[in-house]
Amino acid sequence: MLQRLIRLLRGTEPSSKTAKSRLKLILVQDRLGIDEEVMKELQVEITQVLSRHFTLGEQVEIDLQREEQAMALVANIPITGMKDRKK
Amino acid sequence: MGKIIVTTSGKGGVGKSTSVANIGTALAMLGRSVVVVDADVGLRNLDIIMGLESRVVYTSMNVIDGECELEKALVTDRRVDNLKLLAASQRNNKTDIQPDQMKEVCLKLSETHDFVLVDSPAGIEQGFENASSAANSALVVTTPEVSAVRDADRIIGLLQSKDITDLQLIINRLNPELVKRGDMLNQFDVLDILSINLIGIVPEDTEIVGASNRGLPLIYDGTSGAAGAYQRIARRLDGQDVPIPEFRAGSWLGNLMGKILGNN
Repeated sequence: MLQRLIRLLRGTEPSSKTAKSRLKLILVQDRLGIDEEVMKELQVEITQVLSRHFTLGEQVEIDLQREEQAMALVANIPITGMKDRKK
Repeated sequence: MGKIIVTTSGKGGVGKSTSVANIGTALAMLGRSVVVVDADVGLRNLDIIMGLESRVVYTSMNVIDGECELEKALVTDRRVDNLKLLAASQRNNKTDIQPDQMKEVCLKLSETHDFVLVDSPAGIEQGFENASSAANSALVVTTPEVSAVRDADRIIGLLQSKDITDLQLIINRLNPELVKRGDMLNQFDVLDILSINLIGIVPEDTEIVGASNRGLPLIYDGTSGAAGAYQRIARRLDGQDVPIPEFRAGSWLGNLMGKILGNN
């Protein structure tokens, strides 16, 4: 009772809610079974596609990150210029 | 042909062996013939939880090695009719037994018994492979904690990939006080995440420790708390329609009155 009142006043959510949302996200990752190998493959393929249109800087970095409700694929792609499209 | 049910969890220490001991005993008390099989080779536990450790002579290893007939290796529990234990070897490793060998033993047991309850070791390695080799259904045990639920999810995926589709969940050690306070996942949270059938909720019960100390499964002792929950699970496994009660934390006053009147 008292704890709930303190929590209400502090505005923190109950730990069971945090547990549930953390579990939901981690299980997406677990169930997808995304591992290092898949991520490397993705990196190579994304680099291939993008380098048709751009000249790329250093290495393309991609990462799976947890957002509020879903998993997000976050990429950091340094671009140094456009590919010359004129024939 | 009896049912072969593997009890598994992924994570250790969530109460697999305690569940097997109590559910097995409860089923036997309902008049079914039951064999509980300890599949935790090298780290056997079921015998000591059931208080049968001093009577184990042969193990599943002896049967597989052809040193002993299957029937002779079974330890009969003298307290209740129709309850037997097949112990695991303590001196061998999990890799000394192959899934096919374990499967043969379980299938043979199911010819002469209504229920073969296999207690799987923790983990997803060979011990789990052996324990689940013959199963046509599974009891997945979890506690309402993040690590246990995560591992249960993994085990459910593995069981499904083995075409064991009759999966039932036991939520063990639910503490209604913590749930009420918002500091423990409740049954709906766990079911929402794992999305398999629920066969029972076992409330946290401090009596469990004493029961293990004595080698006397709680089920012999009463119908309240965890014992009652295991009894209901056994009846559901036996095909009876028994509703799952909701475990509510009592009010402060109610708890006090309960303690005074001794009807907890």
